[in-house]
Amino acid sequence: MGAALNLQLLWQIIVNGVLLGGLYALMALGLVLIWGVLNIVNLAHGALIMLGAYAGYYLFTGLGIDPFAALPLSMLVLFLIGYGIQRGILNLVIRGPMFNTLLITFGLEVVITYLAQVIFSADFRTVNPPYAGSNFELLGATVPLVRMLAFVLALGLTLVLWLFLEHTRIGRGIRATAQNLVAARLYGVNPRRIYALTFGLGSALAGAAGTLYGVVSQINPYIGGALTAKSFAIAIIGGLDNSLNVVVGGLFLGIVEALTALYIGPTYTDVVSFGILVLVLIVRPTGLLGRTA
Amino acid sequence: MKLGYQLAIAGVGVAALATLPSWGSAVLVQFGTSALILAVLAQSWNIIGGYTGYSSFGNSVFYGLGGYGVAIGMVQYQWPFAAGLALGIFLALAFAFLIGLPVLRLRGHYFAIATLGLAVVMTAIVSNLEIAGRNIGLIMPLVKGDTWFYEGSLALLAVTTLAVAWISRSRFGFGLIAIRENEGAASVMGVNTTLYKVLAFALCSVFTAIAGGIHAYWITFLDPESAFDIGLNVKMIIMAVFGGPGTVFGPILGAFVLSAISEVLASKLTSLASIFFGVVIVVAVIFMPRGFADLVRRFHQSGWRYFQENIRAHSV
Repeated sequence: MGAALNLQLLWQIIVNGVLLGGLYALMALGLVLIWGVLNIVNLAHGALIMLGAYAGYYLFTGLGIDPFAALPLSMLVLFLIGYGIQRGILNLVIRGPMFNTLLITFGLEVVITYLAQVIFSADFRTVNPPYAGSNFELLGATVPLVRMLAFVLALGLTLVLWLFLEHTRIGRGIRATAQNLVAARLYGVNPRRIYALTFGLGSALAGAAGTLYGVVSQINPYIGGALTAKSFAIAIIGGLDNSLNVVVGGLFLGIVEALTALYIGPTYTDVVSFGILVLVLIVRPTGLLGRTA
Repeated sequence: MKLGYQLAIAGVGVAALATLPSWGSAVLVQFGTSALILAVLAQSWNIIGGYTGYSSFGNSVFYGLGGYGVAIGMVQYQWPFAAGLALGIFLALAFAFLIGLPVLRLRGHYFAIATLGLAVVMTAIVSNLEIAGRNIGLIMPLVKGDTWFYEGSLALLAVTTLAVAWISRSRFGFGLIAIRENEGAASVMGVNTTLYKVLAFALCSVFTAIAGGIHAYWITFLDPESAFDIGLNVKMIIMAVFGGPGTVFGPILGAFVLSAISEVLASKLTSLASIFFGVVIVVAVIFMPRGFADLVRRFHQSGWRYFQENIRAHSV
C-alpha cells in the first residue's frame, strides 16, 4: 500500500517534471540558437522572455485574446524587437572581445528590466483564462490542461524551428553563417541581415516561451535573471549543436528539479541543477549530447 | 609616463584621500568607503579578467566567503574581526585552488558560465547551512566609526594596486598576458599555464575576500543573496572594462566614475538611474570597447575618428 502510493507520487512528480521541462526547453531554444550562430551569450534572454509574458498578458486582459491564440502575435512583437536590437546595436560590437558582447547584453537586460518596471509596474500579474483550473487524468497522474497545452506547443515550436533550419533557404543561410562566416559571405549571404534575422528568431522563441510561462506561473519584471540562468543550464546540459538536444536538456532539468524538490528539499533545487551545470562543463564542455571536442 | 611616476602620483592621491574623514561629511565618507571597496573588487577582477583574460563571474563567491568568514567567526564563535577575516581568506583560497583547477581548464564563454553556475550553487548551499544563518542571514555586533572602514578600504586598495603594478612588470604578469593573448603559444614558450592561472585566481580571491569581510563588518548584516550577488560581480566587470582592463589604474578610474554617476542618479529616481546605468554600459561598449584608459591614450592622436574606428573594427 505504502509502496504503491510512493510509486504513484513518483509518477506524478515525473509527469510534473516532464511538463515543466518542455517549457524549459523552449526557453533555452532561443538562447542556444543565438549562441550557436552569433556566438553571443545573451544575458538579456530572460528579459526577452519576460517581455513575451507581458505581451501575452496585455493581449489577454486588454484585447481578450486567448493566450494560446496570442502566441503568433507576441512572437511577432518580440521578433521585431530582437531584429532591431541586433541590427541597431549588437551588429556594431559583434566582432569585439568576448566579454564586451557579454557586457552589452547585460546592459540591455538592465534597460529592458527597468523600462518594464516603469511601464508595467512591479506588481505580480497572472493570466487566467476560463479553463485555467481544469485538469485531466493520465495513468493515475493529474495533468493541468494549461500545462499540457504549454508542453505540446513548446515541443511543436522546437520541431518547427528544427525543420525551418534544415529545409528553408534562410535556415540554410543561418546554419552556413554559424559554420563559416567567410564562406557564407562568398556564397552571397548578407551577414548583417542573417544576424538580425537569427536574433529576431531567437527573441520570437523567447517571446513564445514567455507567453506560455505567463499562463502557468506568476510574472513580474524581475523574472528574467533566474530564467536566463536556467536557460544556460539547459543549453550546457544539452549542448549547442542541435536544437533537438535542447529538448533533452529541458526535460532532464525539469525532472531533476521535481525529484530534488521531493526527495531532498525544495531549497536544494538550485544546488542540484547548477551543480550539474558545473559538472557537465568540467567533464564534457560540449554538452552531454554534444560532439566530443 | 613611467610606472614609477604614476605610482608616485598615486601615492600623493592616497595621502590626500586619507585625510577625507577629517574634513568630509559622514555621507561623503560612506560614499567613499563603498567606492573604495568597489575599486578593490574591480582591481582584483582585473588580475584574472584583465591580465589573464578569464572573465570570472565567480568573484562574488570570494566576496561572499570573505564576508561569511567574518560573520561566522564573530557571531558563532565570538572571534575578533581579524580572526574572522583570516577564516574568510582561508575559505576563499581553498575555493580558488579546489575549484580553480578544474574550472580554469575551460575557455571563453564556458569559463564565464561555469563560474556563474558556481555563484548560484554557493548561494543555494549557504542558504541551507545552519552555521551561516540559512537564508535569514547573520547580524554582527555594531561598531561605531566609519573612519576605520574608510581608511581600511583605502589601504586595501593601495595594496591591491601595488600587487597589480607588480604583475604588470613581473615575469609572472608577462606569463598571464601571454596566456590572455594566446594560451597555446604561452604553453609552448614554457609558461606553466595551469599554475599561473590558478595563482592569478588565488591572488584575486585574497583581495576580494578581504573586501567582502570589511564590507560585511561595516554593514553588520549578511545574507546569501547579498553576499553572493551576481549583480555585484557584473558591476566589478563593468567598472574594470569601463576603466580599461589589463591596465594598472583603469579599474580604479572606472569604479570611481561609475560610483559617482550612480550616486548622483540614485538620489533622483531609482528605476531611471538603473536604466541610465544600462544605457551607459551599452554606449561604452560600442564607443570605447578598450576602456577609458585607451580612450585617454589614443584620443589626442585620432580625435573623434577614435569612435568610428572602434565601431568599424568590431562591427559586421
